[in-house]
Amino acid sequence: MGSLLQVLFDALSLGSLYALGALGIALIFGVMRLVNFAHGDVIAACVFALLWPSVDAVAIIFAGNLPWYLLVPFVLAIGAALSVACEALVFRRFRHANPATMMIASFALGFVIRYFLLMLFSSRPKSISLLPALSQPVEILGARIPLLQLITIAVTMAVLFGLTAFLRRTRFGLEMRAAAENFTMARMLGVRANRVIMGAFALSGALAAAIALILGSQTGTANIMMGASVMLMAFIATVIGGMGSLAGAVLAGFLLGAVATVMQVILPPDARAFRDAFVYGAVILVLIFRPQGLLSARGTRERV
Amino acid sequence: MMSPSVARRTIATPVLLGLLLIAFALVAVAVGSKPFNQTVIDIFLKVIFVVGLWVFVGNSGVISFGHIAFACLGGYVAAWTTIKPMMKGMSMPGLPDWLMQTEIPYWGSAMVAAGWAALWALIFGSVLMRLSGIAASIATFAMLAMVNSIYSNWESVTAATSSVVGIPIIRSIWPYLVAALISVFVAWAYGISRHGLALRAARDEPTAAAASGIDIPRARLIAFVISGAIMGMGGALYSHSIGIVTPDTFYLGLTFITLSMLVVGGMGSLSGAVLGVLILSTLIQTLRWLEAGVQLGEITLALPGGVQEIALGAVMILILMFRPAGIMGNKDLSLPQRAALETRGPTGPRT
Amino acid sequence: MSLLALSNVSVRYGRLVAVRGITFSLGEGEILFITGPNGAGKSSLLRAIAGVTPPSGGRIDFAGHDITGRAPEDIARFGLAMVPEGRDVFGGLTIEENLMVGTGMHSATRGWKARAATGLEAVYATFPVLKDRRHAQAGLLSGGQQQMLAIGRALMTNPRLVAIDEPSLGLAPNITDQVYERLIALLAMRKLTLLIVEQSSTRAMMVGGRMMLMRGGEILLDGDARALGQSEAMQAAYFGYGEP
Repeated sequence: MGSLLQVLFDALSLGSLYALGALGIALIFGVMRLVNFAHGDVIAACVFALLWPSVDAVAIIFAGNLPWYLLVPFVLAIGAALSVACEALVFRRFRHANPATMMIASFALGFVIRYFLLMLFSSRPKSISLLPALSQPVEILGARIPLLQLITIAVTMAVLFGLTAFLRRTRFGLEMRAAAENFTMARMLGVRANRVIMGAFALSGALAAAIALILGSQTGTANIMMGASVMLMAFIATVIGGMGSLAGAVLAGFLLGAVATVMQVILPPDARAFRDAFVYGAVILVLIFRPQGLLSARGTRERV
Repeated sequence: MMSPSVARRTIATPVLLGLLLIAFALVAVAVGSKPFNQTVIDIFLKVIFVVGLWVFVGNSGVISFGHIAFACLGGYVAAWTTIKPMMKGMSMPGLPDWLMQTEIPYWGSAMVAAGWAALWALIFGSVLMRLSGIAASIATFAMLAMVNSIYSNWESVTAATSSVVGIPIIRSIWPYLVAALISVFVAWAYGISRHGLALRAARDEPTAAAASGIDIPRARLIAFVISGAIMGMGGALYSHSIGIVTPDTFYLGLTFITLSMLVVGGMGSLSGAVLGVLILSTLIQTLRWLEAGVQLGEITLALPGGVQEIALGAVMILILMFRPAGIMGNKDLSLPQRAALETRGPTGPRT
Repeated sequence: MSLLALSNVSVRYGRLVAVRGITFSLGEGEILFITGPNGAGKSSLLRAIAGVTPPSGGRIDFAGHDITGRAPEDIARFGLAMVPEGRDVFGGLTIEENLMVGTGMHSATRGWKARAATGLEAVYATFPVLKDRRHAQAGLLSGGQQQMLAIGRALMTNPRLVAIDEPSLGLAPNITDQVYERLIALLAMRKLTLLIVEQSSTRAMMVGGRMMLMRGGEILLDGDARALGQSEAMQAAYFGYGEP
């Protein structure tokens, strides 16, 4: 019972990370058909925002020393600002470019961000202790669950409910959903293109920051590559979920988390190191049978 | 397979590109410095990779982030087949006996690597080529991550993330030149073949191509396998150029550099692929030189590490903004007097 | 003072010229039908007016503003509402949400829904079928209902001019009759200027008003719909015979 519960929580917390990542990618894809490869590097940049730039091996904690009620909004703001800056400086000039061009541009932008971090902080992983109180375990029905896992899951649920409410109930959310379906039509109804896209980038950046906070407290390190693996899984989740479908992305994120966790448990010990390889393989298989994703968004299907 | 008249009309492109590469080799010989020699070898290797990438990306229009996985497969073939059996036993004890005892020359390993990569391109491709557009691109990314994850963890046959040493180092530039020339000519021949033509038709007018009976997944698969073979060969030679191999040699960094070379040169044409390598290699060398430090009287000015990649990324973004078809656009190099006839080149116009 | 004035407007896509230097003006309260065969440049003209494809030459004035090259959202704010070809309803949104999208621009965020309620009631009064299914996904509606939704959605922006591109496209004739019936009823209720693009002149002759015939990117005829529709010149111009 206890170990089963453990697996469940592992799956949910890993899935939460993937779902948050997938949501950040799907939001932007929805409004401007951009596959944002820079998302992972925005995550990494948010972690490094806690440190003072130095190439020394020892991290100089800067914003990381703030109390949590200041720290969290600070990091979220950094993520949103960086993401909006990417839009304003780079992606805005690609509004009329085809999706492949935009995708390569975002890939290049991600590299620029990553090596900018490298220049400031060096490529060595640095140990940070972010919100150390969260690593204590909590006992639930005989299972010892790290408090951080519970918070991760709770935060993700709160974000999902909050975002759903935002998209369903507010005017800006409605405009965003309309724009995601048919951008030109939404503009002809007076929806301001720039505002909607900026909003999507800000939200996506804040989601990246949330992932950064979770990853940073989970691993206790800051590493310029730390966003890459979450981002890849998040991409895969958006493809499986049906590009542009927010619900699909979240669902697929949790599904991937569950598959990865279950594989960790059922694979023989020798094969556990290959868990991610198995997950990628499974994904490719899913795509053969449902190339349009599990829940395909209306109007986003590509021709041929 | 290909009509002789098309071959005659377009042969100028690979010949001119070949002469350009030979000129580089001759300059390297004339300069005679060891680091410069290594630089030219590196350029030839990039030509192989980018031309290999072009065979698929340029002709199909599907962006692939995964081709460096085939270079990784090839790189390890070189390690498996050319390291002395005794050393192999220490670093990669899990290899099967027959492979453990195998010791072949570098050109043999390059050929085996091409075959091995082509085989896996066929296996992955038969699955991936059913996807299209963005889903296909992301799936190729998953393929890269999958291969990297396997090679980074399969301790007994790849030594996991630690470097495999003892691969015979080939310092002569000629083998690399020959391989680069082979890639260019294979890519050209594929481009003007029936399959290459069909694939470009499918890229520009998918609906019309499908309606006229082109089996798009099959046409893509053929390009994928050929480009996989070229990447595999390049991967093996890459290992021979530096003597060691790690999974991360063949991961995001190399993917980024090769893709940016292709984009900057122009993925619409073979000449764009080759010129992209030459242009960006020059830029990279200049930046490396600046990163190492320039003596200006009393002071040494050095750019901080990472500037190289930042500059590359910036150049790539600017090119995409202002010249999305790359420096070459869709044109290929050809002899001047025929230029007017040649604008459609072997790669045709892109809309 | 005309509501919409075009002078020498051209639209081109690359080397292809879709609209060649068109000049006309439309007064407040007028109904204008633009008819013409396939490829005449009718839709391109509408898209240029709405700001979707900026004109390559000429000038467009609407409601006292020079809107040449302005963004679609700005033009919408001046009071131009588009009902595009193929309706383009937001299939994943409910009917009510579709109607609400265009109300945001004239209203502060606070109290936005309450203020839109009157408009919503008016649209529901005109198209009762939309009210019955207000919480259904718009993608599930039939073609005729989607057309009504698209018109309703345009009305929700409180427009001065409604431009409709091929309202009868893909609809059965009796459904088209219903759509036009509502349109005419609307005209009686509010002060609206209408610009309707149709391939054939039949509807224009039934409804009446002004009619222009476009072919090859140019306006060939301009006059009273009923008079023009029966004329020889109309037939000749439409099919392009009797030209040099």
